[in-house]
Amino acid sequence: MIFHNYLYRLKCIVRDRTMMFWSMLFPILLATLFNMAFSNISSAEIFSKIKIGVVDNAEYGENTFFVNSLKSVSGEGERDLFEVKYISKDEGDKLLEDGKIEGYIYFDDGIKLVVKKSGMNQTVLKGFVDDYNQTLSTIKTIYGKNPSMDQSKLMSSISNRIDYLKEVPVSKSSPDSIVTYFYALIAMACLYGGFLGLKEVMAIQADMTAQGARVNMAPVHKLKLFASSMLAAATIQLIIIFILIAYLVLLLKINFGSQLGYILLTCIMGSITGVSFGTFIAVIVKKSEGVKIGVMIGVTMLMSFFSGMMYDKIKYIISTNIPILSYLNPVSLIADCFYSLYYYDTHTKFFIDIILLCGHNIIFGLVTYSVIRRQKYASL
Amino acid sequence: MQVFKVYFKVIYKNMIQIAIYLMVFLFFLIVLANTYNSPENTNYAEIKVNMAFINYDKDSKIVEGLKDYISSKANIVSIEDDVQKLQDALFFREVEYIVKVPEGFTKSLLNEGSITLDKTSLPESASGIYMDSIINKYLNTVKTYASTLPDLSHEELTRSVHNDMDQNAEVVLNSYSKEASESEKCSYYFNYLAYSLLSILILGISAVMIVFNQSDLKKRNLCSPVRLRTMYFQIIMGSLIFTLVIWFILVLASFIMYGSYMFTTKGILFIINSLIFAVVSLSIGYLTGNAIKNKNVMSAVTNVVVLGTSFISGVFVPQALLGDTVKAIASFTPNYWYVKSNNTIAGMVNVNMENLSPIFVNMLIMMGFAAVMLVMTMFVVRRNRMSNS
Repeated sequence: MIFHNYLYRLKCIVRDRTMMFWSMLFPILLATLFNMAFSNISSAEIFSKIKIGVVDNAEYGENTFFVNSLKSVSGEGERDLFEVKYISKDEGDKLLEDGKIEGYIYFDDGIKLVVKKSGMNQTVLKGFVDDYNQTLSTIKTIYGKNPSMDQSKLMSSISNRIDYLKEVPVSKSSPDSIVTYFYALIAMACLYGGFLGLKEVMAIQADMTAQGARVNMAPVHKLKLFASSMLAAATIQLIIIFILIAYLVLLLKINFGSQLGYILLTCIMGSITGVSFGTFIAVIVKKSEGVKIGVMIGVTMLMSFFSGMMYDKIKYIISTNIPILSYLNPVSLIADCFYSLYYYDTHTKFFIDIILLCGHNIIFGLVTYSVIRRQKYASL
Repeated sequence: MQVFKVYFKVIYKNMIQIAIYLMVFLFFLIVLANTYNSPENTNYAEIKVNMAFINYDKDSKIVEGLKDYISSKANIVSIEDDVQKLQDALFFREVEYIVKVPEGFTKSLLNEGSITLDKTSLPESASGIYMDSIINKYLNTVKTYASTLPDLSHEELTRSVHNDMDQNAEVVLNSYSKEASESEKCSYYFNYLAYSLLSILILGISAVMIVFNQSDLKKRNLCSPVRLRTMYFQIIMGSLIFTLVIWFILVLASFIMYGSYMFTTKGILFIINSLIFAVVSLSIGYLTGNAIKNKNVMSAVTNVVVLGTSFISGVFVPQALLGDTVKAIASFTPNYWYVKSNNTIAGMVNVNMENLSPIFVNMLIMMGFAAVMLVMTMFVVRRNRMSNS
């Protein structure tokens, strides 16, 4: 009997086209759009050679120290900073105005830098120019303290630059913040499973749907009936999430790390949470179907916003300032599971998230059960 | 006037949905105004990178000096040395650079030992390269002093290094900076405006058209004494006035945000551009309104059309950051040309015919879209009429 109901509930859910659009196609559509819009966004952070101009006048030509140090950081090499054009001052102004160069250097009684705005590239350029002045000052100070200093020894000490910094990666995965958007999106899709949960509760409540009225007449144990409905909703939701993740991984090449088992566990927990969230909303909002759906979408969107779906840094701001809010937010917990698996080396945070999700499920389940159990209708 | 009145009655019934979109837009605006802080003054200012500085080499004048120097060039954010906290901070760009000074570093530095600092930066970032260069510069200067003047005390050494580091090159700012930053902010405003304008117009106009296209209602209307032409005329007038009102509200907000800037040539160009986009949105709304039959489909179609076109055409993410393929696809949407015009207006230095003509071309393309939409609507309307009769 349970299996029979289960099968028919599956069919009912799949044939509801509007619902399938919102719970399956809409997240896929959003993921596609995120991917199109964000595919190049992290390249904004990646350093590319800065185009600069140098005014090639007599004072510049005489300054062999500067000429050499500029040569050492410009050119074709991987680690070079600048792409240099040798120009006149008027050309420099023109190129700068057209945005062809970020700034230009000229010598007129000392080194001068001309830029159009303040920015990271301009700051790097300024750092290089300052470096020149600072070195001159060092040489002057040393000769001031020890006039008999051996020139070649001093020059070799200055030009022999040591790299005192060693890169230590902070995690096994690169800090690519774009993944936050996709993780929050999956979490949102999980909670959209609420549409299914909501529909299932409506379908057994006699005061909400004609079908509910009919079902209440039938001599079936309500708990059995409800269990098979929930199982059907969770099954469909899980399949939807699998399709979404397969789409993200195989077509959009989003990185989820490599811990397949844990990712599966997160999907299952997320799907169940979504469905139970829907039943929870369905029983506590005692209004028409439209209002219930409206509340569900509104709450889910708000929770997705706080998990970083619209602006990735929100997640961090919340979790460092008001951590309790991120524990109370199932979307944030699901997104955080994926994030922990991708980025952290340990599983502590992951299991805390999963346990908290279980807690949410228990509360949603108990509330739903306590409201719909032994519902009796005076007249059908 | 009966039809015209009904038009606004339907709009009034959908007021809540429309109000939500207006609210979302205003929310975006507040976020925008608060997060976008371009330099207000016309002086040159270095960008300060947010970084974490963790020191295990206590009681070292030199490391303290390094920290002092760094704090003048970067913002030091205090974060405790906990792996997850540092990982989070880097991931969400709370800091872009982390440097750890190990114990015994000073000793090693002065005696040409091999202990290095541990640093973590965003891979291949400009901020990382910059921080590397200033930290290395400081330490190399210390090394030079230590090797050439071995008798120098640590205090004196630090003082000399700081004296050197204070040498700043003169920076000239070729500036139209104030105006440029105002233009940039304003272009963001008008780019976002595309999202709200398109959403509201499609929702509003479709809601009305769905009512008028109800089969029974349409049949009843057709046998009323009001001429078909008059009826369509009133519907079109209703749509036009609805469009103008919504456009006016959204543009009015720009006057509150940017004040006198809106009366400059650029401000007026932004407004004209948005008006033309409003006309295109009207035609899209009219087409979708005639093509769809029920309200459930309406919200799905609106979301797909508006979010889809907005994401790929640079409404949310700057066009400069979009890939070439994406831009090629986006060029088949009017939003793309609208955003492109806004960016051109914002980036324009001199207002002359040469700089204005690409903007006018974009406007013509948008008008072209509007014309195509209207022709398509006519086909849809004719098809609907055939299938009804």
